Amino acid sequence: MEEDEILSELRRQLKEGIIDVKVPRKRRIFVWIRSEAFKNAIRRLKDMGFTHISTITAVDLKESFEVIYHFAYKGSIELSLRFNIPKENPRIPTITDVIPGAILYEREVHDLFGIDFIGHPDLIPLILPENWPRDIYPLRKEYSLEDLRGSILKAGRDERRVTAQ
Amino acid sequence: MSIILEAIRQIFKSPITLKYPFEKTDVPKDFRGRPVWNMQKCVGCGLCSRVCPSGAIEMIGKGLKAEIKHYVDRCIFCGQCSESCPRNAITMTDEFEHAGYDREKMIYEYRRES
Amino acid sequence: MAERICGICSDAHTTCYTQAIEDLLGIEAPPRAKYIRVIIAELERIHSHSLWLGIAAHEIGFDTLFMYLWRDRETVMDMLEFISGNRVHYAMNTIGGVRRDIPSEMTPKIKDGLDFLEKRIKYYIKTISSDRTIQKRTVDVGILKPKDAIELCAVGPTLRASGVKNDVRRDDPYAAYDEIPFNVVTHDGCDVFARIIVRCEEMLESINMIRYALDHMPAGMLRVRVPMAVEPNEAVSRVEAPRGELIHYARSNGTARPERYKVRSPTLANIPALCKMLMGQHVADIPIVLAGIDPCFACMDRLALIDVNTGRKKILDFNSLRENIRRMRGNCP
Repeated sequence: MEEDEILSELRRQLKEGIIDVKVPRKRRIFVWIRSEAFKNAIRRLKDMGFTHISTITAVDLKESFEVIYHFAYKGSIELSLRFNIPKENPRIPTITDVIPGAILYEREVHDLFGIDFIGHPDLIPLILPENWPRDIYPLRKEYSLEDLRGSILKAGRDERRVTAQ
Repeated sequence: MSIILEAIRQIFKSPITLKYPFEKTDVPKDFRGRPVWNMQKCVGCGLCSRVCPSGAIEMIGKGLKAEIKHYVDRCIFCGQCSESCPRNAITMTDEFEHAGYDREKMIYEYRRES
Repeated sequence: MAERICGICSDAHTTCYTQAIEDLLGIEAPPRAKYIRVIIAELERIHSHSLWLGIAAHEIGFDTLFMYLWRDRETVMDMLEFISGNRVHYAMNTIGGVRRDIPSEMTPKIKDGLDFLEKRIKYYIKTISSDRTIQKRTVDVGILKPKDAIELCAVGPTLRASGVKNDVRRDDPYAAYDEIPFNVVTHDGCDVFARIIVRCEEMLESINMIRYALDHMPAGMLRVRVPMAVEPNEAVSRVEAPRGELIHYARSNGTARPERYKVRSPTLANIPALCKMLMGQHVADIPIVLAGIDPCFACMDRLALIDVNTGRKKILDFNSLRENIRRMRGNCP
């Protein structure tokens, strides 16, 4: 399928779930959708042949988070599916039941942004150390580098104390 | 099986390794080693310290009186400074042995001699 | 700075980074620069694959092959040093093109090196496919079925060794890959042996690609002028690194600092597939299966033990692993 065929197929499937689309160059598609339609959209995409998920990115937009799922269609067309979720209650359903390969990407986003993936089998820290404070998420914009440096040092001190004991 | 023949063949050859601190390999022509400043050419524009991706170059003062401090421990030897210098005052030498125990000794200072 | 993400696939990261930024700025590298990028990327693939092959030989206790491979790998390292001025961090790519040219005087020396490498790699393929030690240790070890490989989103040689024809260079061509003919190497073995053969044959493909690129390199500029101001924009850039698909996502907000920059390296994508491969294997086969995906462990410092019979799961983190080792050492001094 070509880019425009994929877009018309998506429009037919999701109807008013789609807010906006952008095709900046060949083999790149950006699709903005409503957050309610997202799980349905992922199922439809998988049926269309988008079986490979490249990664999940989250961006802190001050009032809300934007979550971007990068999919690849037969390795060639890269489709970025994106939607906003409120910052006070960042909870979205997991997609590991549809695409099992997303398991580590969801854990990574949970580590760095504190977004909860409901139904994820195991949301333990992937990148952060075990004794990292639970309420600090390094890539949220409200934490400055100095705050993070403090908690990194503290985590290191705790670890040394544990090993010394 | 064929690897055994290869191994037997190697017994009669001289080793490929060099006894490093005593013998050294030649470095290629355009090797990027430690950058060196020629302060007679430097005009103190400060471009090198601004383009340095790892912040290894510090410029104290301005213009012809400028002093340059080069922190080799931070340098990544990319050669960006020598490429962007408008006066070609920076050359990349072929020195590659910078390992040491003391970070304080890895600072090179350059000053214009009047 | 993007080069420092990885010490082995440093060129893949810079290519991906520069492409993302070029996309953001709406510029394109000149044709000659694209060819030079291909040459460096393929030389790097040869160097990375032969490094991996040496490690794999070492993991199954075949150190003779490891030593010979790494000796021959010096040829490609010297070639890279000769072209770019450094053995590991080439610093060839820049936003809008490349920094150094490959003049025609260099071509004979590169071609001599390629001829030597081709001879050696062919010899190693013969050795590997006829050697009983390697066969016994790798055939039917670490099976990853094509269905699982697609489901768990594996990338690169790991995916291709499961018989799935997928390569970013062919599917989503960047640099000059759309002008250079090459084959995507696949193998239906689905085991570690298939991964070895896929990587060896990819090296031969790379040698042919470099030869083609050297002969057909167009003349022209090396870099274009880069606009100083960045508009708010975003770009996704993909590159086939030696280990698989590498993806960078960049977003600018109109200032000199990026709003978000995200890197996903190929090893992370292969970890779920690795868990699948390890299930039901012998403990002695873990090193070679683990090495089979060509891992770059930077962010994985934990280990999960799953008892296949009972399904009981126990996770050991780095500290408790250290404790265990200390206790074991205490018992047998």
